[in-house]
Amino acid sequence: MRISELPEVGTKYEIESPKGDKVAVIFLTTGEIELYVLEAGAEKPSVTRLTPEEARRVGSVLTGAVLTVEREDVEVSFSDISDLRINIHICPVAKGMVGKSIEELAIRKRTGVTVIALSRRGRSIISPPPETVFEEGDLIVVIGEREQIRACAREILGQD
Amino acid sequence: MIFLVDLAVVTVSCLVLGLASKYLRQAAIPAYIIAGIILGKSGFDLISSEASYDFIQWLGKVGVILLMFYIGYEFSFKGIKEPGRLFAGCTDFGVNFIAGFALGLLIGLSLLEAFILASAVYISSSAIVISSLIENKRLIYPEAETIVWLMVFEDIILAILLVVLTSVMSGSLTLIPVCLATTLLLIIFILTLIRRLSNYISPLFERDDEIPILLIFALIFGFSALAYLLGVSLHCHISEVIVAFFLGSALSGVKTSKKLFETTISFKHLFLTIFFFSFGMLFQFQFATLSSVYFILALLALITISILGKFASGALIGKRLHGSLETGLRVGAYTTPRGEFSIVLLAVVIGPGTGNYELLVSLVVAYVIILSIMGSGFARHGDKIGRAIAGSIKKLI
Repeated sequence: MRISELPEVGTKYEIESPKGDKVAVIFLTTGEIELYVLEAGAEKPSVTRLTPEEARRVGSVLTGAVLTVEREDVEVSFSDISDLRINIHICPVAKGMVGKSIEELAIRKRTGVTVIALSRRGRSIISPPPETVFEEGDLIVVIGEREQIRACAREILGQD
Repeated sequence: MIFLVDLAVVTVSCLVLGLASKYLRQAAIPAYIIAGIILGKSGFDLISSEASYDFIQWLGKVGVILLMFYIGYEFSFKGIKEPGRLFAGCTDFGVNFIAGFALGLLIGLSLLEAFILASAVYISSSAIVISSLIENKRLIYPEAETIVWLMVFEDIILAILLVVLTSVMSGSLTLIPVCLATTLLLIIFILTLIRRLSNYISPLFERDDEIPILLIFALIFGFSALAYLLGVSLHCHISEVIVAFFLGSALSGVKTSKKLFETTISFKHLFLTIFFFSFGMLFQFQFATLSSVYFILALLALITISILGKFASGALIGKRLHGSLETGLRVGAYTTPRGEFSIVLLAVVIGPGTGNYELLVSLVVAYVIILSIMGSGFARHGDKIGRAIAGSIKKLI
């Protein structure tokens, strides 16, 4: 790895693979990040410009680290049923939910989403029963349409 | 309120031509100069009065001061001492300055004027060079680093040239050392003062209100004014822009919010655009008409020597640092654009009434317009140009 300062441009981090491929990451002074890939023998490099947020995502994929999920949305679509899109939303439980059960909060009745999993102290509970009581530090996984997920975030989780 | 009309003329014309240049993927600097040429005295003469002309020139001067402040702020000494970079910088200066100086004498300028012309010929446009490196996706190549450090080296030389030239221009021989000494003392005074006071200044810079931006401008204008007044009292010229440069470099050591610096840069953008316009206004067509064979020939010679010079210095740098002629020729192609610094140098160093002032200004205006446009083209096709020239040289040998 080579690190070099490029005044007025930014900082360049450069790696060359044994095959001669080059990868460079440049942190521009504007705050954006450019990712260069130059295959050995290629005429021109491929370049993409990332926002810090995007760069962080790419970075955590590359390091193979488990994504530290705060509020993550995943949309799943299927090639056979093209109009079916399922949104999965993962988030920590809100203060107001602690000590109450899924039934008490009437999550599905109020918003349409279903709680499909719960992660508590590193252990997962798949399809938690309605009487499950939330504890502080729980991560919940809810599933539903995009609108329903939004309603859940608004009404149950108290996010904006 | 007639000056509002004049300001509208300046900003609207710069906006239109600037936008056009961005769509054409050209450098914007020549667009603003051309706007000044078209609307200024030698063009449609749309500026209402002499007072307005002066007003626009003043705003332009603020732009130059802010540019130098910005360069000083971004400047870092560390890293330049690496032998390869020093070699590159000195080669670039040696080859291009000497070429420009010789040509200046050849076209009949005085020693001093040739020196000024050589400085303008030597110095590439950091703005165009660096933005074309990013746009043309060159940053992964090793020569990109060499080029970026060349630009830093040119900043240092620019600062030195400005100090020397403004002192020399003050006139009588006895005044030159006085002038130089005062400038250096003032620079040392600013550097130590800011360092001593940094603990008191820093909290002021981190406030949320208008105080930080007021403080920045108070410092810039305050020290510039001090330089001017010192110059007047000593009957010599102490360059305000050099003071701004060192003030910027001193302030870069003081903790400030990033937002404040960005705000100052936006002011720089605005006023520097007006500066390019105001410099375009000085262009005089009588020189550029076809009847003035002398002017055209001088301009052509100047452009040819400037391009050849950068390719030659680039080739030497490439051979030594990267072991490849082709890489060196690419360095040449990338550093060909001239722009803001050539003009700033001229505008700061000489004023109306000195010798061939009108001729020099018109020459450099035309020179910068042509070389900034050609230079961006060279930069875009740098690799092709490098390969073609290296190929034909090989065939010859």
